[in-house]
Amino acid sequence: MRADLAEVTALLHQEAMLLDEQDWDGWLALYDEDAEFWMPAWKSETEPTSDPMRELSMIYYSGRAGLEDRVQRIRSGKSVASTPLRRTSHMVGNVMLLPDDPAHANLVQVKSSFNVHVYDTRAKTQHVFFGRTTHGLSRDEANGALRIGRKKIILVNDCIPTMLDIYCV
Amino acid sequence: MSASLSTRDLDRLIDDRADEGWFSVHRDAFRDPAVFELEMRHIFEATWNFVGLESQLPNPNDFLTTTIGRSPVVVMRDAEGKLGCFLNSCRHKGAMVFHTNAGNGPHHSCPYHGWTYDTGGRCIAITSQRQGCYPEAFKAMEHDLARVARFDSYRGLLFASLSADVPPLEEYLGDAKRGIDLVVDQGPEGIELIPGAVSFTYNANWKFQLENSSDTYHFIPTHTSYIGVLEKRRSARAASSGASAAAAPAGSIYEDIGAQAASRRGCFTFAHGHVLMWGDNPAVSARPLYPMLPEIEKRVGKVMAKWMMYVRNLTLFPNVQIAENASMQLRIIRPLAVDRTEMLAYCVAPKGEPAQARIKRLRQYEDFFNPTGFATPDDTSAYEACQRGDEARTLDWQQGYARGLTEVKAGGNAESEELGIRPQTSTVGGYRMGDETVFHGNYRAWLELLKRGVARK
Repeated sequence: MRADLAEVTALLHQEAMLLDEQDWDGWLALYDEDAEFWMPAWKSETEPTSDPMRELSMIYYSGRAGLEDRVQRIRSGKSVASTPLRRTSHMVGNVMLLPDDPAHANLVQVKSSFNVHVYDTRAKTQHVFFGRTTHGLSRDEANGALRIGRKKIILVNDCIPTMLDIYCV
Repeated sequence: MSASLSTRDLDRLIDDRADEGWFSVHRDAFRDPAVFELEMRHIFEATWNFVGLESQLPNPNDFLTTTIGRSPVVVMRDAEGKLGCFLNSCRHKGAMVFHTNAGNGPHHSCPYHGWTYDTGGRCIAITSQRQGCYPEAFKAMEHDLARVARFDSYRGLLFASLSADVPPLEEYLGDAKRGIDLVVDQGPEGIELIPGAVSFTYNANWKFQLENSSDTYHFIPTHTSYIGVLEKRRSARAASSGASAAAAPAGSIYEDIGAQAASRRGCFTFAHGHVLMWGDNPAVSARPLYPMLPEIEKRVGKVMAKWMMYVRNLTLFPNVQIAENASMQLRIIRPLAVDRTEMLAYCVAPKGEPAQARIKRLRQYEDFFNPTGFATPDDTSAYEACQRGDEARTLDWQQGYARGLTEVKAGGNAESEELGIRPQTSTVGGYRMGDETVFHGNYRAWLELLKRGVARK
């Protein structure tokens, strides 16, 4: 499968904007049903965990259902951490195409950097989460659009102030 | 309140008339910086604190760093294999010598002027000492890393105290030790921390976390959104397997909240502020430990095995909690300010558990315990709501220590007899009782330590 830099960059920008505008259905629609969503924890100052089946992750889902659970909680109005919802502003940059990954041969591998500014309206405080993301992108057979088959997030500043949800990275 | 508090001021923070049917904590305990200062000096820096597990330091020259109150400390295994605990502060100008959470190496140099220490804490080199023109007074001094006043272990859990004026560790832990046994004995070779520690902060007092661990009352109201997600998963699982929802395998002990709500909850309090909350968990098969149950029963007997399958949240006052409900968490409480707390959390597992059980343990843990998961963010956000709300300065007393007061009994009960322990108080009741007398034990020890410290001054 092939995709050019402009096309993958547009998809990453689209995902960022959907999260900032809290368009959860639009965001979920970007993901394949069996999409892996993984944010490792860190096991030392220099090394994130590398095996989600044997080591701890911050977040690990092997399918979109896990992301749908997140959205259900966000929308429930019954999570004090999510009500009122924090506002976010995603900045995605350094987008680059990576060589094919034999472990995910059907996906185009894209790396990028993120800064996400998160504003808590209650405390009037803000925080920046930053790190790097690797997206594995597939192509929708029906309409040719790119979709997310895999997302791995390396959160650089991993001491979490109170909470982090899927819209904070 | 004034900047320095007398024992009489401290007495006014706790209204302990449990015998007459009342107990309360003054809101200044959560919002007064002067109270926080005393807590640091007379609790955290004056009694036993959990500092790590022996299994984190398997090899000679391994070290880990942590804090006791405000003091940075390092726990090391020396070249001969002996463990020690020292202040992580160079004797020259105070710079921290160890700058990572953990590591290994025979010698450690201060990054500033290069004084070098071995893993027994001995100062083995002072840079350019001979050319230093040092006076006799300096030569007569000891330059080693300062040892903490007391350092001991129980079943592989390491504790240290900056004050020598403490009871021996086993006496301090008392019958709360059984809560440790129920964790450590789960694996034939003990327990281990799964790689990947997670730390988080919240902007509220440390005692909200202290209490929340044994607060059964909050679960349904605070975690409604999480329970909703679990119910959805349960139906989805049922639909995919074609079985009825009730017959679907539980992915979490909380997935069948109806069964949970029909179970019992109880609490024990012990001397020195330790508490153990328990629940007879009906969703045993949802526990990662379940596949190991036959082996465990054979090794520790059916009664202890049953207690290992129970929900159990253990607080070892003041700074460590082991929560076993959805998966198992070891969490260290580090107060930073009266309104700010740092938590360091690990997923705990029996050594050598089956691969599928380990996966289940990880997924349950991430779901429930992570600050990036479904439950902890609602807890910490609730603590922050309390801290901000406690700024209502014309209100003095909490009303959060009254549930269970007509039920609580001095001494033990049938459950403590099963465990062979003698708690100071015990309660047992339905899930909805939401006992709050369990916190009385925390605050009695809290007040005693503060008053003792202030009186000694």
